[in-house]
Amino acid sequence: MGDALLVVLLGLPMTLLVTALAFAIGLVGGIPLMIGLRSRIRAVRLACRFVVDLIRGVPPIVWLFLLYFGVSIGAFRFDSLTAAVWGLGIISSAYLAEIYRGGFATVPRGQSEAASALGLGRTVTFGRVLAPQALRTALPSIATYLLSLLKDSSIASTIGVADMVFNATMFARQNPATAGIVPFFIAAAVYLIISVPVAVTARRLDTRLRRTH
Amino acid sequence: MNVPLITEANELAIAGVEISDLSKRFGDHLVLDGISMSVKPGSVTALIGPSGSGKSTLLRCVNLLETPDGGTVTVGSQTIRAGERVKDRDLLALRRQVGMVFQSFNLFPHFTVLRNIAFPQERILGRSREEAEARARVLLERVGLAEKADQHPGKCSGGQQQRIAIVRALALNPRVMLFDEPTSALDPEVGVEVLAVMRELADAGMTMIVVTHEMQFARDVSDHLVVMAEGHIIEEGDPAQIMANPREERTRRFLSAVLER
Repeated sequence: MGDALLVVLLGLPMTLLVTALAFAIGLVGGIPLMIGLRSRIRAVRLACRFVVDLIRGVPPIVWLFLLYFGVSIGAFRFDSLTAAVWGLGIISSAYLAEIYRGGFATVPRGQSEAASALGLGRTVTFGRVLAPQALRTALPSIATYLLSLLKDSSIASTIGVADMVFNATMFARQNPATAGIVPFFIAAAVYLIISVPVAVTARRLDTRLRRTH
Repeated sequence: MNVPLITEANELAIAGVEISDLSKRFGDHLVLDGISMSVKPGSVTALIGPSGSGKSTLLRCVNLLETPDGGTVTVGSQTIRAGERVKDRDLLALRRQVGMVFQSFNLFPHFTVLRNIAFPQERILGRSREEAEARARVLLERVGLAEKADQHPGKCSGGQQQRIAIVRALALNPRVMLFDEPTSALDPEVGVEVLAVMRELADAGMTMIVVTHEMQFARDVSDHLVVMAEGHIIEEGDPAQIMANPREERTRRFLSAVLER
């Protein structure tokens, strides 16, 4: 039990690293995609819609396999961590773009009209008037997405990233007689211990922002 | 309470509005069909008419929230011709001359009342934060809302929000003010507070174009009444005279419908 706990916990930094990097890529990458989804130019809108739906329409594990096993340009191949981070990062971009877009859709039209009528430019209107309001409504969904990403990051174990699930699997294989499913219970507990505070914080933040609204 | 709602520098620069042969269509529907109208500097024009008559669209063409399909709009010395590409710079220049107040207030909910009024001044007039907030406080005081400065608009009543919206526009020293049914979303007794501010602004000599269903306001405050129906101006002239003695049957029907409400 003690050994299993140690081995699983040794995978925790990797789980957090993959989640954090993929989330960071998603937070940034979602912005241009969202702008594209809201573009006034139909072709841009359709192209971004196609990309978002394509990314979301294929299971994450398949994307990771495609990146890890399918990409070889000359001598270049992704190592497992890079493939996992970029794969999950790109997927996150698509989901977060959709979440951002949903946030912007809830901002009443009158807000951008008022900004225009005052004479505020497009960038200021976007950055200071629309985006803060969109982010507030999108925040709970963003937090929910982060939680599901934390759990989905375990898919990286399938291409050899040594995260918690990878270590649990290894431990179970190396101790077939004694380990049983204990390492997976431990992993489950650790995921829960991280998830619950994030969920609680997000809910608190959400109610607080609603109050100031 | 003796601070004027409009500044002296602004008073000298009050502009007129000329609209000539303006047309606008939404899809197949011709909302404005060759409208021409002249608003003298410092005058108040009331726009009335049944819903769907195009009065709001006409108002929104003045500051190009709607892009006209034909005709010209002149504000002060700046003319916008439909069909010509408007440079961003010209568009912003036009909008900086024209303040607008909406039916739904459209204050920024994530800013405090004070920031709602100060932020546009900082961005548009390049005022410092201190200067902009000082001006905002003076104007809030002026409309009796000084104590609301640090609250969010969500905490204010509709009538308070609309007065804040008026002040937000005035803080930018507009040369023309547009009002799009400013009291339609308000209870009558609250609307009175808003109308009082508008009346004061009119007395101070601001050029105003007001889309409204407030007949008493139109009669008492406006210098010129324009009656619209189906994208045309069907009658215009002295407000009291038109209300007492409409020339057009259409006007008569509309007025009696509104007054019977």
